[in-house]
Amino acid sequence: MAGSRYIADPESAVTKVALDGLAVLFHEPSGMTHIVASPAPEILDALQQGPADAAELLRRLHARFDFEGDEAIHARLGELEAAGLVRRA
Amino acid sequence: MRHRLALQIGPVAFRIGSAWRSPLDALARLYAGYPAPADGLCDFTVRLEPERPWRRFLRPSVAIRGDYVLPDAAPLALAHGLLAAEMGMNLQMALGQRTWLLLHAATVEKDGRAIVMTGESGAGKSTLAALLGERGWRLMGDEFALLDLASGALLPFPRAISLKNGAIGVMEAEAAADRFGPRLAGTPKGDIRHLRPNAEAIARMGEGARPALILFPRFGSAAAVRGVGQAEAFMRLTQASTNYVALGRRGFDALANLVRGVPALAIDYPDTETAVGLIADFRRELAA
Amino acid sequence: MSGTDDSNAFVPSRRTVLVLGAAAASTVVTVRPALAQTAGSVLNCEIPVPGPHAGGSYIAPDGSLVAPGTPGAAPPLARPLRGEEVKTLLRSGASPAGVDPSAAQAYANYIRRLQAGMSGFTCYASLQMPR
Repeated sequence: MAGSRYIADPESAVTKVALDGLAVLFHEPSGMTHIVASPAPEILDALQQGPADAAELLRRLHARFDFEGDEAIHARLGELEAAGLVRRA
Repeated sequence: MRHRLALQIGPVAFRIGSAWRSPLDALARLYAGYPAPADGLCDFTVRLEPERPWRRFLRPSVAIRGDYVLPDAAPLALAHGLLAAEMGMNLQMALGQRTWLLLHAATVEKDGRAIVMTGESGAGKSTLAALLGERGWRLMGDEFALLDLASGALLPFPRAISLKNGAIGVMEAEAAADRFGPRLAGTPKGDIRHLRPNAEAIARMGEGARPALILFPRFGSAAAVRGVGQAEAFMRLTQASTNYVALGRRGFDALANLVRGVPALAIDYPDTETAVGLIADFRRELAA
Repeated sequence: MSGTDDSNAFVPSRRTVLVLGAAAASTVVTVRPALAQTAGSVLNCEIPVPGPHAGGSYIAPDGSLVAPGTPGAAPPLARPLRGEEVKTLLRSGASPAGVDPSAAQAYANYIRRLQAGMSGFTCYASLQMPR
């Protein structure tokens, strides 16, 4: 069942600084700062290829990384959406 | 207003107006030796006003007003008018400062290297800073650290140090009597006495310093030191800043550069002398 | 993972393990404006319990306003609570001096329900510590 498609802002809209294993993001459109842990940066990176629903996003992530527990992608997307870093198409 | 005083503190000039003379007399004595603002131009205005017009005389009650105000602010008794003036200046900085990233922190400097000590009220920052100021360190400030957005340098903001309860006795044994303001008993914060920074701190109030160490001190446990990661330091400093969010991208860049360029430590300390000793150790390591 | 400070190289180029996390985990923390740490220096604040708008109402255990004399409800406090007292009350449940301990929870819940525009809200907001 295809779900909603998620969109992330282009990389140019977000300033990213790596800090000891985490990343701090400044999101220009909102002026807000977020401190994020994996897999948030990897998800945002994967969405740079274009909008994707959860299934497509998981395919993109599985192409680069080894992981289990696919269901957690929904919680991760929920957090990113609540922070305004991704939105639904 | 009826009575006025202008003060230059580091790079910030204040104009304090008051319906009563006594708080400004106390303020002028506390800040003896401070320069007046050049050309009389001021960055912020504080006004000490009666809560209601008739409260100027009848059970006089001082409302803290100025360029910036907070709702729900309760007035203070006239006997605590000096405290009202100090809180008023803090309020203008906390709400109105946009030129520098403001951190709620005490800062001391030696050999061009500055240590920034930040944490909740009651963590003991002011007392530590006051004591270090008497032990060969230059006090740059006990309330706010000013971080230059472009250069990453810290600028001095040497206000009178606010000592509470037990800390008053500690510092009375360390500093000359004429540097103290009156003892204000029974304020909403307990007993308070203000201590003027020493002559060196005042003379060098225009001189910045490079940050060399970020410290998160916590009073009340056995001595312990642990490293604080960059991301944790970043987060804690955003919570110690009243204008981080308002400064947008420039605030982000300045803070990210700070935590990447400067180590951060958390220390627990059972008494101020122990903390002073720990900090002396850090300084030796930084200088090595 | 943090070998260099190159901020654009955060995503590793080799195949690696990614931890997707648990459903309840939190991987995104947003920075909020903060006044709490400075509040003690800038705000001598008080919270009237209840506020002047309440007109003598009593406070039910859940913090809502009810008719005066409602059984089980707490009477209005004679004096506003100071910021420090509110902080202690909300953190540990300890009742401020002169306040009936059995009513402390009702007063705490009233404060937690304060909205912007209500007397005492700024004081309450300034006492919030980050999660």
